[in-house]
Amino acid sequence: MKKFLFLMVALLVGFTASAQSLPDVKVENQEGKLVSIKELADGTPMIISFWATTCKPCIMELNAINDYLPEWLEEVEFKVVAVSVDDARSVSRARSMTSGNGWDDYICLYDKNQDLKRAMNVSLTPHTFVVDGNGNIVASHSGYTPGSEQKLFEEIKAIK
Amino acid sequence: MKKFLLFISLFAVASLTSNEASAQIKAGEGQVTIALESNSSYYTKDKTLEDIGLVVPEKRIRGNFGSNDYLKVDYSLGRFSVGVQVDGYLPGLYGYDFYDYCLRDSKLNMFLSKYVQWEGQNWGVRLGDLFDQFGNGYIFRAYEDRALGFNNSLAGARVHYNYNNMVSFKALAGLPRLYDVRSKSTVWGADLALSISDMIGWNNGIIGIEGSYVGRYQKDAAIKFPVEGGMFKGVDNDILNMVSGRLNFELAGFSLRGEYAAKLNEDIYNPTKDAAKGNVISLDLGYNYKRFSASATFRRQQNMTTFIEYRPMGIGGGNSMTYLPLLTRQHTYSLANLNPYRGSSVHTGGEVGGQIDLYYSLRNPKARGKYWNFHANFSMFNTLDHYSKMANMEMKGRNVWIDANFDVERQWNRQLKTTFLYSFQRWDEEINHFDSPHAHYCRSHIFVGDVTYKFNKKHSMRAELQYLASNDYEGDWVAATLEYNLAPMFSFYVSDMWNCEKMQDGAYGNYFMDVNTYEYRHELLHYYQVGASFTYNSFRAQLSYGRNRAGYVCSGGVCRFQPAYTGVNLTMTLSF
Repeated sequence: MKKFLFLMVALLVGFTASAQSLPDVKVENQEGKLVSIKELADGTPMIISFWATTCKPCIMELNAINDYLPEWLEEVEFKVVAVSVDDARSVSRARSMTSGNGWDDYICLYDKNQDLKRAMNVSLTPHTFVVDGNGNIVASHSGYTPGSEQKLFEEIKAIK
Repeated sequence: MKKFLLFISLFAVASLTSNEASAQIKAGEGQVTIALESNSSYYTKDKTLEDIGLVVPEKRIRGNFGSNDYLKVDYSLGRFSVGVQVDGYLPGLYGYDFYDYCLRDSKLNMFLSKYVQWEGQNWGVRLGDLFDQFGNGYIFRAYEDRALGFNNSLAGARVHYNYNNMVSFKALAGLPRLYDVRSKSTVWGADLALSISDMIGWNNGIIGIEGSYVGRYQKDAAIKFPVEGGMFKGVDNDILNMVSGRLNFELAGFSLRGEYAAKLNEDIYNPTKDAAKGNVISLDLGYNYKRFSASATFRRQQNMTTFIEYRPMGIGGGNSMTYLPLLTRQHTYSLANLNPYRGSSVHTGGEVGGQIDLYYSLRNPKARGKYWNFHANFSMFNTLDHYSKMANMEMKGRNVWIDANFDVERQWNRQLKTTFLYSFQRWDEEINHFDSPHAHYCRSHIFVGDVTYKFNKKHSMRAELQYLASNDYEGDWVAATLEYNLAPMFSFYVSDMWNCEKMQDGAYGNYFMDVNTYEYRHELLHYYQVGASFTYNSFRAQLSYGRNRAGYVCSGGVCRFQPAYTGVNLTMTLSF
């Protein structure tokens, strides 16, 4: 085991860092059809936010982004993708919440068995990624405190 | 502790190397991604709780320190990927099923899972540990939930194929994980989904038909297990066959999803009961119109609990190859979640019930910073008619749970947001403890007020006040939380929750028996917490200290019992 951990450390130190790209994982969209997250990268940058019906800070973050969205979109073009990681039992509740909260401008996806969550190494929700138009992840944030949505906007603006 | 320190140093090195949050490691043409998670507790002495028997330090057989840690490393190159995950229980955290039921009884418990995968355009194959589910998961679900310490990944193989979204097929087989070992059972299954709407080129909605089959083989399953008071009927087959059929329909904001699943052979669904066949039927209805949406779920299930392996004592929540979650609202406020519904089928074999959610939002599309959100929810569950071995009699089905609740959220402007929640809960206390023929209903009324105020783009504050009014069980409770946030890096909070029932002598609290003197004594117990969190990009650490009430921790409709403890908790996550 020790050897394994040291190998991991060596791996970390040994390689150079560059942008990570989106995995090729399929999840359900609002209409219940399977879509690949990778195919969402069509030249427009995006914010991908993982949320759950029982995660209050997640919903606060998505509501805060929704509030600022019209203003932000005047400055820069981007998409918001809300990925619900709710289990099969709460997917209908999650669908109701997306329309109830007025998240009409979002692309809503449903990751029922947490395949995308696992592929993108999300441990805790909320977890937010900023992705450029080519599908490269340029920033990643865990947790939400009111006001931290501003940082997401700065990162979106910084994408050339 | 030593291994834990090694793990922490790995964390430190990792944090230093990844000075850019999204840093990722380039290895040739492919990429390596890494995720670390560490949840640790140090249990401190709490004389008050120990004197009244709420904390029994001897039960913490693995000492005063616990840590559940996960390291996940994946490498991908185009359509190919390979990965490992190491779970380290150094030792495990007290109160997780793993703590009591891990089968290799050691202080340092490790589990390694690994996979290789090829994901083509229309087909894919995976060898090694895999997660998957068929339909709602009634006959098969392999998943991980770290809040519960649950992981029943299947070690084996899976292939899937998709033809133009019209037909998708999946087949898998393997050995499920049972805590820290591979189970002796073998599980296999196949799933076929047909999209009728795609086949006939109908684009206005969805019509889909799906079906699955799952088998489980356990050598010598037919052995009759002795139970207290004699033998009980085991099963006469080593193979369990299960099937499921599903229908999905969607049109113009209306959706209907139905599933029927059944065990075709007799199976032991409860270690102290006779084997039986089982079935479940569920129906999900949804409707959306502008800012109004409604969803309703109905489910009736009988004897559908499915173990990975038969064990005379069941051996906890980790011994499950399916997913039969509770359908009640999973509350986020502590008092609304003080006595959650945790199912009645464990005792009675089945339940019938459902829930309804209604959402309505009042908002001006031009001023998104101001809105009202209304939400109402109702859930109800009854037991089925059944024979109770414990009471030695036929029992009628009866109501065991009701929760009628609503909440109103008001965003006044960009600074101020308020939330109010009310919940009425009524549960059958006796069915929770044993299969009693008597109904004993406990009722509580829960009120919650929650205010968030944003001073500016960095500073904000949240205050929460809760009250639980009840004449039953432990009586009244109060809870309060104060949180101060410094976006985007820091957050601090203090909270307290106490049982403020007024006693006959006018004092507040409750009576408890002193385990040393066997005399009743009066205690006003405070469950306090103080904590802080730090976030930097994808690194997050939360440190807290406090006293935790014995209760149920629920995640995804599955609950585990967490005994009371006082101590320090540290949670860290990092991914890149």
